Amino acid sequence: MSKPTPAESCSPPSQPAQALPDELHLLVEQHVQYVRSLDTRKDEYEYWLTEHLRLNGLYWGLTAVHLLGQPDALPRREVIDFVFSCVHENGGFGAAPGHDTHMLYTVSAVQIIATLDAFDELEERVDGGRKTVGKFIASLQERDTGTFAGDEWGETDTRFLYGALNALSLLHLLHLVDMDKAVEHIQACENFDGGYGTGPGAESHAGQVFTCLAALSIAGRLDLVDRDRLGGWLSDRQLPNGGLNGRPEKKEDVCYSWWVGSSLAMIDRLHWIDSNKLAKFILQSQDPDRGGITDRPGDMVDVYHTVFGLAGLSLIKHPGLMEVDPV
Amino acid sequence: MSRKPQNKLTPLSEDPKWEDVIPIPQEEGSAHPLASIAYAENYSEAMDYLRAVMATNEMSERVLELTERVIRMNPAHYTVWLYRARTLFTLNHDLYAEIAWLNPTALRHQKNYQIWHHRQTLINALDSADGEIPFLTQMFEKDSKNYHVWSYRQWLVKRFDLWDAGEIESVEELLKKDVRNNSAWNHRWFVVFGRPDTDAFKDEEIVKREIEFAKSQIRLAPQNQSPWSYLRGIIRQASLPLSSLREFAEEFAVFGKMDQVRSSHALALVADIYAEEPNGTAKATLALDMLAIRYDPIRVNYWEYKKKQLPPSSPVAAGT
Ligand SMILES: [Zn+2]
Repeated sequence: MSKPTPAESCSPPSQPAQALPDELHLLVEQHVQYVRSLDTRKDEYEYWLTEHLRLNGLYWGLTAVHLLGQPDALPRREVIDFVFSCVHENGGFGAAPGHDTHMLYTVSAVQIIATLDAFDELEERVDGGRKTVGKFIASLQERDTGTFAGDEWGETDTRFLYGALNALSLLHLLHLVDMDKAVEHIQACENFDGGYGTGPGAESHAGQVFTCLAALSIAGRLDLVDRDRLGGWLSDRQLPNGGLNGRPEKKEDVCYSWWVGSSLAMIDRLHWIDSNKLAKFILQSQDPDRGGITDRPGDMVDVYHTVFGLAGLSLIKHPGLMEVDPV
Repeated sequence: MSRKPQNKLTPLSEDPKWEDVIPIPQEEGSAHPLASIAYAENYSEAMDYLRAVMATNEMSERVLELTERVIRMNPAHYTVWLYRARTLFTLNHDLYAEIAWLNPTALRHQKNYQIWHHRQTLINALDSADGEIPFLTQMFEKDSKNYHVWSYRQWLVKRFDLWDAGEIESVEELLKKDVRNNSAWNHRWFVVFGRPDTDAFKDEEIVKREIEFAKSQIRLAPQNQSPWSYLRGIIRQASLPLSSLREFAEEFAVFGKMDQVRSSHALALVADIYAEEPNGTAKATLALDMLAIRYDPIRVNYWEYKKKQLPPSSPVAAGT
C-alpha cells in the first residue's frame, strides 16, 4: 500500500466523533457506508479541496471495502473510468483529471487496476498499456543514486522508491529498474537507531521504515536487515494506551498500526507488540455514527485512517476482516 | 476557519484583466455548485480559470496572481505549485520576492510539503542560502519536529556546505528547549557523522565529545530514548566495546538495586553488557525479567526473546 505524506494525511479534526460505548467491536456496516458516502459528497467544499488526493483516496476506499469483505461496495466500472480519466500520454497518472502526473498517483492507479484485475482495460484504454506505465515509473529512477523521484521536478523519497517497485512488480516489469542500485540506496537510508528515513541522513520514521522494508522484500533482500535492532525500535513505538507512534516522543496515531505492524510482520516480529491493546486503541478510534476511523479517539474520521486502521486490525487477525499482505 | 479575506475577493468574472479568458469548468460534477458559501464559489471559479490558462499554457503575471489565489485557498494542490514554478522561471520573475511571499505562507501552513519543494527549487536557482537558517529557526519555533523542514534543512546543509556554519549550535539550542526532540538528535548525527568524505568515527576527540554530550543529556532525562540510541550508535559505529558504557549505565540501573531503576533504556543496556560478560547470563536474565515484568511490560515478548538469545548459563551461575 502506498501512502501520502504523513503530515498531509493527519489533518486536524473539524468535527469530533461521538463517544463510544464500553463494549468494542468492529463496525463493519458503518465503515462500508462511510466509504460509499465519500464519492457522493460532491456538494461539500472539502471534497474539492482534497481533489489532489483523489486517486489515493479511491485506492484506500477500495482497499477498505475489500478488507471488510464487501469488494463490490464501490462500482467497478465507475472506479475504472475514473482511474483512466487521470492518465497522461506519458503513462503517468495524476490525482484527478487535469492534475500533473506523479509517482504516488501512478502507483495508486496500478494498485487499483490490480485490485480490480483491470489489466485488460489497461491495454485497451492506454496506448501501449502496461509497458507505457512501466516505462513512466522506471524513468523516474535516478541512475546515479538508485532512488526515485516523484515527478520531473526531482524530489526524491523512499516512498517513491517503494511505490515504483510495488507497481512494477504488479505490472511484471521489475526488470526495467536498476535493482542493485535501489537496494544500495535503501541501505544508505539506515540510521543509527536502526530505522529508516526519506533519504540518507533523514530521521527514522515508521512510515519510511515500512517503505524501505517493503522495497527490500520485493527485491528479495530482507537479509540485509538487522531484524532484532529494527524490531526493538519498532516495538518501542507502542505507547501504554496501545496505540503506536511514528517517531520517538510523538503522539500515537491509528495509521501507524499499519506502518509499524506490517514492518514488524515483514521481519517476523509482530508479536513484539501487544495486539490486544492495539486492537482496543483502533476500535476506540471508530466513529459509531458516521462510520470510519480517526487518527486517535475523539478526532474526525478520514479514509486514510479508516483503511490503515482496518489493515492494522487485519494484520493482527481481528475477526471480521479479510487477510492482508504486509507488503 | 477565517473566511473573511476570501469573501472579499472580487470574482474573476468581474475583473477586466480576465475578460478574454473563458473559464473551463470541471467535467465531473460541474453541475454541482459546490456549497453555496462564497468561499467555495471563489475556489471553484479560480479552478475554472486555472484550467483555462493551463489549457493554453499561459505564463504571465496574472497567472501568478491566479495561482496565489488558489494556493491561499488550497495550499496542498500540487499541480498549481508546479505550474506557478514554471511560470516564475519562464517570466524570469524576482525569486526573492517569491521567497518573501512564501515565508508567511509556510508559517501559516505547517503541514504542507509542496511549499518546501517549491522553496528548494527557488533557493537552488538563486544559488544562495542567505536568510534561510533564520527562517527555519522561526519555523521550528512553531514545530521543532516538522519532518519537511528538517529534510529541507539537510538539503540546504549539503547544497551550500553549511556543515560548520552553526548547525551543532542550533541543535544544542533546540535541545535546550526540548531534550526529547528526536529530530534534533538526528540532525546532530547528520552534521557530525554524516559529512561526506570524512570519517568522524575515526576521530577520537569527536567520538569522545559526542559520547560525553549524549551522557550529559541523558542525565537530564534518563527515560529519553533518543540520546540512548545516539550513544549506542556511536559505540557501534566506532567499534568501541559496549562495556565501556557500563559505569555510566549503572548510574540508572544496577544489578542488586533492580527495584530502583531510573531508565528502562539503561536497564536494557546493562542487560546487553552483562550478557557479554563471562558468567553474566544470570544477571542479564534478571535485568530482562525486570523489563518484562515491571519496567516495560507491554514488550514482554521482546524481552523474552532477548532472554532466549543469551548464552547458556555457566554451571556456577546456574547453581547446578
Ligand atoms: Zn495518521
